[in-house]
Amino acid sequence: MSYDEWLRQDRLPHIYCAGCGNGTIINCTLEAIDGMGWKKDETIFVSGIGCSSRAPGYIVTDSLHTTHGRALPFATGVKMARPGFHVVVFTGDGDLAAIGGNHFIHACRRNIDITVVCMNNQIYGMTGGQGSPTTPMGALSTTTPFGSAEPAFDLCELAIAAGANYVARWTSYHVKELTKAVKVGMETPGLSFIEAMVQCPTNYGRRNKFRQVLDQVEYFRSHSMMRLKYLQHEERGEPVPDATIVVGEFVNRKRPVMGLPK
Amino acid sequence: MKIEIDESRCKGCNLCTVGCPYKIFQAGKKPNRKGVLVPLLDRPERCTNCRLRHLYGRVLCGVCQMTCPDQAIRFRDEKPGETVKVAIEY
Ligand SMILES: Cc1ncc(C[n+]2csc(CCOP(=O)(O)OP(=O)(O)O)c2C)c(N)n1
Ligand code: SF4
Ligand code: SF4
Ligand code: SF4
Ligand SMILES: [Mg+2]
Repeated sequence: MSYDEWLRQDRLPHIYCAGCGNGTIINCTLEAIDGMGWKKDETIFVSGIGCSSRAPGYIVTDSLHTTHGRALPFATGVKMARPGFHVVVFTGDGDLAAIGGNHFIHACRRNIDITVVCMNNQIYGMTGGQGSPTTPMGALSTTTPFGSAEPAFDLCELAIAAGANYVARWTSYHVKELTKAVKVGMETPGLSFIEAMVQCPTNYGRRNKFRQVLDQVEYFRSHSMMRLKYLQHEERGEPVPDATIVVGEFVNRKRPVMGLPK
Repeated sequence: MKIEIDESRCKGCNLCTVGCPYKIFQAGKKPNRKGVLVPLLDRPERCTNCRLRHLYGRVLCGVCQMTCPDQAIRFRDEKPGETVKVAIEY
């Protein structure tokens, strides 16, 4: 396998905690890119701030590690200035949906031709485990010590409503499927949004009854339901179990696109 | 072809012990120099990718390598003259 070729070997091992799912998502994304046959000097990674956003620092290509929440505006700028470049954004749930929420919906609306990979660990990992807009109801974090009382964002539904051309969700358990989804996203013109559910053993897992790294990955496996099956359940009016993670391709369409090479 | 775990990268998270269909990775028991419990390999010659990669000319399975968050799992070809253990299929 060849994701290794895209990594800055001298920077590894990376700073992520043992068992942090972010590393797996980097593997899958780089593997997908390798399958695209992109040139390294025509590929650019952009990120904001967070554990997830440190990913570009471990990759050999040029990258922009920008301010918190602003990865998408920077990525939009790069793509508009150099439409021939391949732009990939790594972001976190806090970076994308909290401080960067506004940029997220407008990048989707503009349907700018970039690929956005969101490592959703349902928490602010880097700053010590504060609740994020995707922290599930009832989950514990430093800012929700009695359990989050707010409903969480569904990032995929948000991206669909705002206009992204390709939307998919997988988890760090589904490495093959995730790699495929990132690749299809890269092949699709327009904004491709891939949400990767990841474990954060340090700040989410240990507060939420996942004592071992494996426990949360096993949870992803056992609580995932394919989107088609989920829709069938919905059609028949059958209830789905609480906390089901709907996975698969959500949308693959052809809305007008910005930032394509002329 | 054979599997190797790069001890300078492995953080002992044990994620590789769940994905492999052959359960080749077993949780380590003895801490290494860095205090990490690096998993042990149980009869790694059974690995699909190690046996068939060259025959098919593409990666087969490879789930452990994709999953390892620390990029510590590698496949490498045997050196010339290196003995190769062959798995017997039951
Ligand atoms: C403008 C600004 N506000 C707040 C912060 C502090 N801060 C750093 S990372 C972060 C949250 C990161 O969460 P997420 O994007 O989910 O990344 P994770 O660490 O979970 O991967 C915050 C609030 C900052 N760096 N800059
Ligand atoms: S705090 Fe969480 S997200 Fe950050 S490196 Fe550690 S496990 Fe990963
Ligand atoms: S998945 Fe990688 S880092 Fe984790 S125990 Fe296995 S080899 Fe080590
Ligand atoms: S490639 Fe597949 S079969 Fe081989 S060790 Fe890894 S997970 Fe097991
Ligand atoms: Mg986060």
